[in-house]
Amino acid sequence: MTTTLTARRLTRDPVVISGVVTLLLWVVASLYSPAFATWGHIVTTLTVASFLGVIAIGQTLVIIAGGEGIDLSVGSAATLSAIVASRFMDGSDDGFLFAVLVALGSACVIGVVNGIGVLLFRVPPLVMTLGMIAVVAGFIRLYTGGRPEGSAAPLLNQLVTGDTVFGVPGVLWLWLALSVVVIWLLRRTSFGWRLYAVGANRTTAHLSGVNPSAVRFSAYVLSSLFAGVGGLLLLGYSQNVYTNLGADYMLNSVAAVVIGGTALIGGVGGYLGTIVGAVLLTVLSALLRTMQIGGGEWGTHRARSSSAWS
Amino acid sequence: MDSPPFLRMSGVRKRYGGVTALDGADFEAHAGTVHAVLGPNGSGKSTLLKVLTGVVGPDAGQVRLDGAPLRPRGPRDTLAAGISSVYQELSLVEDFTVLDNLVLGVEPSRFGLRDRRAALARSLPWLERFAPAFGGRVPVRERVSDLDPGERQVVEVCKALVRDPRVLVLDEATASLRRGQVEVLFEVVDELRARGVLVLFITHRLAEIYAVCDRATVMRNGTDVATVTVAGTPEAELLELMSGRPSAGTSGSRRTAPVAETDTAPTAPARTDPGADPAAPPRLEVRDLTGDRLHGVSLHVRAGEVLGLGGLQGQGQSELMAALFGAGRRTGGTVLLDGAPVRPRSPKQAVRAGFCYVPGNRGVQGLALGRPILENLALPSVGRRALLGVGLSRRREVAAARAVAERVNTRYGSLDDPVSTLSGGNQQKIVVGKWFPTEPAVVLMDDPAKGIDVGAKAEMFDVVAELAASGAAVLVGSSDDRELVEVCDRVLVMFEGRVVDEVSGDRLTEDTLIASAMHVTGADVAAAHEGHPTRLPDPEPRHAEEGGA
Repeated sequence: MTTTLTARRLTRDPVVISGVVTLLLWVVASLYSPAFATWGHIVTTLTVASFLGVIAIGQTLVIIAGGEGIDLSVGSAATLSAIVASRFMDGSDDGFLFAVLVALGSACVIGVVNGIGVLLFRVPPLVMTLGMIAVVAGFIRLYTGGRPEGSAAPLLNQLVTGDTVFGVPGVLWLWLALSVVVIWLLRRTSFGWRLYAVGANRTTAHLSGVNPSAVRFSAYVLSSLFAGVGGLLLLGYSQNVYTNLGADYMLNSVAAVVIGGTALIGGVGGYLGTIVGAVLLTVLSALLRTMQIGGGEWGTHRARSSSAWS
Repeated sequence: MDSPPFLRMSGVRKRYGGVTALDGADFEAHAGTVHAVLGPNGSGKSTLLKVLTGVVGPDAGQVRLDGAPLRPRGPRDTLAAGISSVYQELSLVEDFTVLDNLVLGVEPSRFGLRDRRAALARSLPWLERFAPAFGGRVPVRERVSDLDPGERQVVEVCKALVRDPRVLVLDEATASLRRGQVEVLFEVVDELRARGVLVLFITHRLAEIYAVCDRATVMRNGTDVATVTVAGTPEAELLELMSGRPSAGTSGSRRTAPVAETDTAPTAPARTDPGADPAAPPRLEVRDLTGDRLHGVSLHVRAGEVLGLGGLQGQGQSELMAALFGAGRRTGGTVLLDGAPVRPRSPKQAVRAGFCYVPGNRGVQGLALGRPILENLALPSVGRRALLGVGLSRRREVAAARAVAERVNTRYGSLDDPVSTLSGGNQQKIVVGKWFPTEPAVVLMDDPAKGIDVGAKAEMFDVVAELAASGAAVLVGSSDDRELVEVCDRVLVMFEGRVVDEVSGDRLTEDTLIASAMHVTGADVAAAHEGHPTRLPDPEPRHAEEGGA
């Protein structure tokens, strides 16, 4: 009785469904091109997914917080963070921590402005964060003169790409650690429980003594922060930056969150689903590109820096 | 009036779950009359008119209009039959102009395009007729969002009139109108009567009934009690008909037992002695509080006391609780908690100060329906159990939730089930129970037993008694006078944002509450018409009886 109940619940769980779809896609891909089944290729796929996964952390939080919450500026935050970091690092390990803090700080500014716009001036999140893309692009042009300079610190590069065990690069361990932290944040902290409550019913949360604006503001700032972390990881991976480094992540992060079962209305979902969503999207785009269907823009710049994609 | 009635409703029954709203009500009214429908809260008058306008489908009964049976599937059908209604709750689109609102749903068209000229031709006469109510202007192209509440209500009336009704229903349509606007409305009502329109009029203001109505039907307990000619019926008789007893605040000694007669609840809740100690200093004291719909409320509640807020619906009871909780507007006055002034600017601050609030609409305001029972129970207190204010232990949360669920006697499958899977009564217990861990000093409950079945109601009252017994000052608002009699030590009767009467001790009966609520209504409007719009006469010797237990 309980087992059938559990089974039924599992077959309806969007995370399980997405997971099964991902596996099926991978099987199809492996049948089409056996290279997909190799350990190296799996690691590479997960590595590509990890950047999306990290950038989509904040997207998950913002969408759970509800109120039509969405953050389209995550790609911009990632780009800005990478550009700032590369200029401060300039290929050297000196002042590494300072560079990281400045980069993440500049990303957080985006979240703060988003939060003020959405909560204080009641700009719809879609409009606010979409507009923010143009603002950040303008700032980047001003800051770099159109040609970003500098490059990643060797330490960052080592952290991201350095082989550890079984050829698993550091970035995957970082993603794992961040995932644990985020899932803990959502499931086992008062912030997480309040976030879900605000997303599910803002009035109820308000009348239960929660400050919904503070919770949603935190979500937007965290979103930019994690996007900034994603930008640093991208920098460490590709070593150099360009002005549309994070552009692909705008809608893909939303897609990863939604595929993972987090509802756009808020109050439902979690980060585990987003992980699955990120992997699914990556496998799908790799398969499509291998079959030479579609433009395959998603992930092309990494194809340039990763021989595994050729 | 020997002609057959224009409108005849017979044997109308309607149940909502376990609550009987209409129990075989009959109603007749003639064309060319203004007919009042009167009755205390929950007497079924609103439901009767909702059946007429097709908003609610009756379980049984017939409606005949002009001799022909009316079987509406919805408001559209009754509109086509010539029944037009003005509701208290506004039905206007704020971003539309007045003109667009007036013809919404009945837009005249030519060749499939909207015919603005025809729309204007239909609407303009009414707007011009009501020009004095708009301060002399004719706001055809103004947006509804730019109008004040009274003007919007007038637009609402025009909207009903543009539909050229044979029956016009005015449901509390005067509640938000100013006096000048009411006068214009009454002139128009006179004109409609002359043109053979049947006007059905619901109001709590007895003076208005005497001003415009020809006949009145009194409802009580879901059925019609009597239909009278207004001119030949003194006010006292109307009040008697409504409360069902010749009381109207005359006799204070008789504690009849309507509670015992009708109460099917297994246990009469153990009511604590009034305030434990009448000499004790008040736990909560409110002095001259003003805000939305509040015009100077003063009250005090002692620790362990349950104070009821009675009176007609919508007289500021909900607004008072919201203002105390920092969720509503508060413009003046003092609130003292254990002698110290408190002024919470948000619910968060109120909770920190020791208040808790059970809102009137649990689905919309009280619960995160899709979230688990566990999270709903934890929400107000989750920060207190967290390590460093952040980290939670699932075991501790589950233990806390179990303890609460046990205290309020909630039945549930698993704490991880969404709270929406519970029955209404059990959901309400969650809304109340979630406050236990915060150990509130003041409990504000807005209609805590609304829409739950009798058994759950009795349990809810036990919870209220338990909260009081733990030393909290409890404030309970309810639209059901019987509930107030059952759970409260004292009841304050509110009218138009003020406390106008206090009922306690032997006088605390359903009849007294109904009489008090209605009688004050009449007195106030009489005063208003004499040109004292705000000052309320002291309702006779009743205040002297304070604490007359």
